[in-house]
Amino acid sequence: MNSKIMELNKVEVWDGNMAATQAMRQADIDVVAAYPITPSTPVVENYATFHANGYIDGEFVMVESEHAAMSGCVGAAAAGGRVATATSSQGLALMVEVLYQASGMRLPMVLNIVNRALASPLNVNGDHSDLYLTRDSGWISLCTFSPQEVYDMNLCAFKIGEHMDVRLPVIVNQDGFLSSHTAQNIYPLQDKEACDFVGEYKPLNAMLDFSRPVTHGVQTEEDWHFEHKAKQHDALMNSTKVIAEVFAEFEKLSGRKYNFVESYKMEDAEIAIVVLGTTYESAQLAVDKMREEGIKAGVVAIRVFRPFPLKEVSDMLQNVKAVACMDRSAPGGSVGALYNEISGALFNSPARPLLSNIIYGLGGRDMTIGVLCDIYRDLDAEAKAGKLNGSIQRFVGVRGPELKYYKV
Amino acid sequence: MSKSIHDMGWDELVLGAAVHSFKEEIDYNPSQVLPENRDYAETNSKYKYVGDWRVFKPVWNTDLCIHCQFCWLYCPDTSILSREKKMIGFDYDHCKGCGICQEVCPTNPKSIIMFTEQTEEEEALNQWPEKKGSK
Amino acid sequence: MLEIRWHSRAGQGAVTGAKGLGSVVAETGKEVQAFAFYGSAKRGASMTAYNRIDDKKILNHEKYMNPDYVFILDPGLAYTDDITANATDETKYIITSHLSKDEVIAKIPALHGIEDRVFVLDCFTIAQETIGRAIPNTPMLGAFMKVSGMFELEYFQNAMKSVLSKLPQKIIDANMVAIERAYNEVH
Ligand code: SF4
Ligand code: SF4
Repeated sequence: MNSKIMELNKVEVWDGNMAATQAMRQADIDVVAAYPITPSTPVVENYATFHANGYIDGEFVMVESEHAAMSGCVGAAAAGGRVATATSSQGLALMVEVLYQASGMRLPMVLNIVNRALASPLNVNGDHSDLYLTRDSGWISLCTFSPQEVYDMNLCAFKIGEHMDVRLPVIVNQDGFLSSHTAQNIYPLQDKEACDFVGEYKPLNAMLDFSRPVTHGVQTEEDWHFEHKAKQHDALMNSTKVIAEVFAEFEKLSGRKYNFVESYKMEDAEIAIVVLGTTYESAQLAVDKMREEGIKAGVVAIRVFRPFPLKEVSDMLQNVKAVACMDRSAPGGSVGALYNEISGALFNSPARPLLSNIIYGLGGRDMTIGVLCDIYRDLDAEAKAGKLNGSIQRFVGVRGPELKYYKV
Repeated sequence: MSKSIHDMGWDELVLGAAVHSFKEEIDYNPSQVLPENRDYAETNSKYKYVGDWRVFKPVWNTDLCIHCQFCWLYCPDTSILSREKKMIGFDYDHCKGCGICQEVCPTNPKSIIMFTEQTEEEEALNQWPEKKGSK
Repeated sequence: MLEIRWHSRAGQGAVTGAKGLGSVVAETGKEVQAFAFYGSAKRGASMTAYNRIDDKKILNHEKYMNPDYVFILDPGLAYTDDITANATDETKYIITSHLSKDEVIAKIPALHGIEDRVFVLDCFTIAQETIGRAIPNTPMLGAFMKVSGMFELEYFQNAMKSVLSKLPQKIIDANMVAIERAYNEVH
């Protein structure tokens, strides 16, 4: 634990960025190497302030780019320390090369991604194009829907990634501005509780262990590369066991329960949307409105985006008639990522709900309760008609003529 | 760890492709132990023969060498063997024939000269050039 | 659910004010939310900040809002911003101006006919004379307490003291005077 304690109130009003920083402070990190970018800047800015004020015993390294930030993290993790950083959008894009190094080298660390649109056109607001950019990077990817969850998932992330059966880096996603710059009630743990939960860092194959000199970042060609990637994938797939354990332990400590797939009113839902991010919480209000109209709506959100909970999400959708997979990212010439995942999840299951793909909210375009209700009403009509209304994919909330693709 | 890495499946490899230098934990400072006395692991480059990458090989002329250690310092493959600050020869298992040692050798004529791989050492020494006059 | 929209210029403390209000209200056991729209966010640019206050967990993340209260922190914005956007038949307005209430309303057609829901005070002068800087956010909160009756003046002042606790005592005291003056002067 850091030598200087910060007394926290039972309830604090923090935005998502401060929630991330506070969890990082409590996790007693050895090295944070960072380069600021909107909207994640306050995560490292707050951290630097805590460091300057003596609340952080570890090192804080300002570097010259996000590529360098992640490289610094990789170096420090290989040396044998607990490390973390934060970024967004273009910064993440610059980091991507090194993300694959971190996961391939099996170095646990925590990366807070404050989700923001990728240029061009330049945009600082939230969408999930950067989240999707990390899809195949081999990191565990956790999603949050409110500042409280940002705090909670950060604490869990260290514990998951550092577990000896996992040893993988972990991303914690939050919506730019809608979570990162939105202050809400947060019920934090005190420093000791949080630090004890995260636990002491246990190095593995550390470069600073002089009794066992080691080389990291080696080259393998067709002789060993496949085996190492297989081993890495196996660790990622089997991390579910540790994730479940950590979630259970966190629930015992905080009373807050987390699942691989979150859902609201899915027990008897006939139509559903599948989402990521803050839309999950807003959609619950829309579900309540729909229920008043007699429409049995539900909402499903992916908490653990990687490893993808294929079975859990499929089970969740077995009894619905129509599902809209809502992707907050420009799909780049195909259906959106969620649509891909969900249709893949359902294909080998008995259920065959109508499955559509909605592209929404790009560059921070507001997703209102009213529009969510409209989406539910459309889904309801499709469910009643027993077929999709013309196409698989459509854009919602964009000005101009209707955009629809993949006619059915 | 007695099993060779060549017989291992994905499940048996060291995670992250981390490569340990030695077979076991060590309780000595390796810089104070001669390489031949270090218990290197199978995956150490010590056991990786790359001598056949070479087209030209360095030949050393002991009569001319002043043991300045330049070649030892500059060799990118740690293939200059030296003991007690005296050059003693080449590690031809790892020397790739880059010619840097010849380049940095300060004597006149050079104490290291590159010859084709098939040239015998004696033949090479017989062909050694004369001292170049300064103009 | 109580919803507030702040109209301000970047640098006038609307975000700090919204977060400060959130912190005070959170201590009473309520759930709060405070956020803002950031455009280019250059000092002086027009911007809006928002509060939501409720008894249960706030799940709403839409930016769209039908405000119960609209705070206008800068006199100029009362004329240039669409201050009645998405308003309801009960929305109340608190406007900073050196003009009298009648003069302000006379200049803003959108407020005609809803005079009983418009409240005016001069947050700038109050802030200048008490805190010594033209930061209108704490006076605005003082006025809000009077108009909304959310908390007693003294309770609110004490709660604000703990929110401002990191500031020098002199500044905290000045803020308390500012809140009290605003509470009494808003009309
Ligand atoms: S550089 Fe030349 S002179 Fe110096 S030690 Fe090597 S061979 Fe001898
Ligand atoms: S030829 Fe190159 S690799 Fe070989 S000993 Fe000389 S410097 Fe080293």
